[in-house]
Amino acid sequence: MKNFYLLFVMIGAVYTSAQDHQMHDMEGHNHEGHLHDTMVDGKLLEVNSERFDDFVLGLEGKQVAIVSVSGMVCDFCARGIEKTFSKDKTVLKLDVDLSGGKVLIAFDKDKNIDFEDIKKKILSNGQNATDLQIIKI
Amino acid sequence: MINKFFAASIPPMGIKYLYVFLLLIGSIFSEARPISYSGGSTLMLKSNAMQNSAYYHYSPSYKFSIGIEQVKDKYFDADYSYLRLTYLLNRKNTRHSQRNLYLQSGISSDGVDHYFYGVHGDWETRRLFSGFGYKETQTASLDYAEQYLQLGIAPYIGEYGDLHTWLMVKAKHDELTNEWNTYPVIKFFKGNALMEIGYTDASEWDIHFMYRF
Repeated sequence: MKNFYLLFVMIGAVYTSAQDHQMHDMEGHNHEGHLHDTMVDGKLLEVNSERFDDFVLGLEGKQVAIVSVSGMVCDFCARGIEKTFSKDKTVLKLDVDLSGGKVLIAFDKDKNIDFEDIKKKILSNGQNATDLQIIKI
Repeated sequence: MINKFFAASIPPMGIKYLYVFLLLIGSIFSEARPISYSGGSTLMLKSNAMQNSAYYHYSPSYKFSIGIEQVKDKYFDADYSYLRLTYLLNRKNTRHSQRNLYLQSGISSDGVDHYFYGVHGDWETRRLFSGFGYKETQTASLDYAEQYLQLGIAPYIGEYGDLHTWLMVKAKHDELTNEWNTYPVIKFFKGNALMEIGYTDASEWDIHFMYRF
């Protein structure tokens, strides 16, 4: 048991520093490929710009909800979210950015995007939606 | 190996293939993701030196799951089923982590004097994992407990849909053998499937396969 803990502490120390660096990048602060200068409702848009550009291809005239999700730490979480939203017929397109902790959801321009409904859907999967930004394409 | 529980619904060739499948990948009692998203189903196949089992559960909500586990108990040389209930007692989501605490219970087809209950928990980020479990089993002839601790590191961070890999160390104690075994475990995630493989000289293969749908 003693060796077990020692081994983990040693390996953990090495990886924690690597993780800190990666988490920094995940949060969109590496100043490359992110829409740092885009403001939505007075807040900076924190989304991977390359990913966002791919997502909005063919979505002219639509609107995209960018949802920040906490607790989305693995593929199973992401897959559950994808399945939950795929049942919603008003959803035109969906992308789960596991690294960025974001879910991008495209709706028609006339759709009234209800954050409470999105929160409920994310919670039904066991995660929490913490923020919503809406962009008209 | 496969008793009447399976024989009733699976054609003979199916039984043969399921038998081979269980032998190949067939248990640890630690269960990654014991509750699915609302409306989700999960199939788990497990095998270790003590038992083989096949477990199906359905989650009406992300808070609990209900299911049936068919067990081939190698220690007691017995076959039985459990009606199982797992309840999410507590979950803490943060931007980069999730922490869970689960209560688990099961009642056997052998009768009301054969049941188990326990608790297990985990904390994970996309890089680190830690988990623990305690399970107390009561039978007509013997009561015993099992405990485990599991720690892991992802050597790389995969994107959604990639193959995800975890390198882990697991320490497990079984009152039946009264031994702690510590051994390496490797875990793979891909799409809806997860496979966890561990090996120790003392308890041999410790394998867990899971498919969510």
